[in-house]
Amino acid sequence: MKDGELDDILKRAAAAQPGPDPALLDKIAASIQPNMRPVRPLPSARKLHIALPAACLAIATMVAARLGLHGLAAMSGLQFLVIPLVPILIGRAAAAWVNETIPGSRRREPPLALLAIACAALLALFAALFHDPLADGFVHQGVVCLVAGLATAVPVALTGWWLLRRGFAVSPTGAAIAAGTLAGLAGVAMLELHCPNFQTWHVLVWHTAVVPVSAAIAVLLAKLVQIRRAHVDAR
Amino acid sequence: MHPDGELETLMVRYQQGDFAAATALIQRLSPQLHRFFAVQFVSRPSADDLLQETWLRLHEVRHTYRPGEPVLPWLYAIARHIRVDHYRKAGRTSAREQSLDETPEMPAPRAAPAATLTMQEMLAPLPESQREVIELLKISGMSLEEVARATSSTVGSVKQKAFRAYEKLRERLGQMGGAS
Repeated sequence: MKDGELDDILKRAAAAQPGPDPALLDKIAASIQPNMRPVRPLPSARKLHIALPAACLAIATMVAARLGLHGLAAMSGLQFLVIPLVPILIGRAAAAWVNETIPGSRRREPPLALLAIACAALLALFAALFHDPLADGFVHQGVVCLVAGLATAVPVALTGWWLLRRGFAVSPTGAAIAAGTLAGLAGVAMLELHCPNFQTWHVLVWHTAVVPVSAAIAVLLAKLVQIRRAHVDAR
Repeated sequence: MHPDGELETLMVRYQQGDFAAATALIQRLSPQLHRFFAVQFVSRPSADDLLQETWLRLHEVRHTYRPGEPVLPWLYAIARHIRVDHYRKAGRTSAREQSLDETPEMPAPRAAPAATLTMQEMLAPLPESQREVIELLKISGMSLEEVARATSSTVGSVKQKAFRAYEKLRERLGQMGGAS
């Protein structure tokens, strides 16, 4: 059987399908009539694609400047590549978050793939640029960096949430992963500017960890909100 | 099939508070939305409820439609969200009680010429994601790009699902003796 014949059969079957009752359509129209007021559409995706990463980078830079730009001062040679490359990932994650909050947007990759790409890219970048094999105070210094990165992620996530507050996430979990990834990457950007510890394992493990931990926290929060809403609906 | 431009104009007028435009959209798009729910084997009363819930949600979030963008991917992305929510709620309910009302109407296989099969019977052997793609692509008349946007996936993935679905449908209809 050819595709055209199959199309015809499907269309005939669809045409024979009984539609909704006209009375139901009148009821739907009547139910929205009392709330008919003009609404302001969301800003264009392009504006949001620029505003969101710009805000993230501004916050990360401000936090790093407040704590001291010791990492930037200690960088040499190719290590400066971190400065333009992390913002590229931030731009991509910001675009993903924007797209997750506008129904029917084009999706370049699933949010989970974005998270994996971001982590893999950071690991590759850090492995290529940092070659100090020592691991002094691995856990103690690492936890300090992880906490500082996550603390930076909080205002970034709140700012993003405020910018996108009028959006509607058809997949709350996907939006949470994108949001957490973006916030985590802003935390990494802050750490690269601030942290002067260039020991390979420290950067690879603790700086990169900010991204998945931030995404996990965001997903957890989204799930809690969903559970709470379900309880409210059930009442 | 509606010219996209006309739907976009109606949607913009709807955002501007024009009730006539809202009514026109409801009249034009409800039959295909209703079918979208019906092909997923929900009962007719459930499809009616889902349709109503979808329009209420669309109304709440109508500001998220951006003028100049195609209307259908936006509309179906929200409709899918409502349907998933419905499954979730139904799952919670059935976990607590044995509800007969929510039992989906799974069409019983019957030996009939392909041309006389209902939509549900035609699409019964397909997994949910393939059924959805076929409904949007072949019956609602959306493009690959629009279906990808509506289902939060990629054009490649939509193509693959449509191809596999057509393989299965061809095989099934072939076994039944074709379109007699």
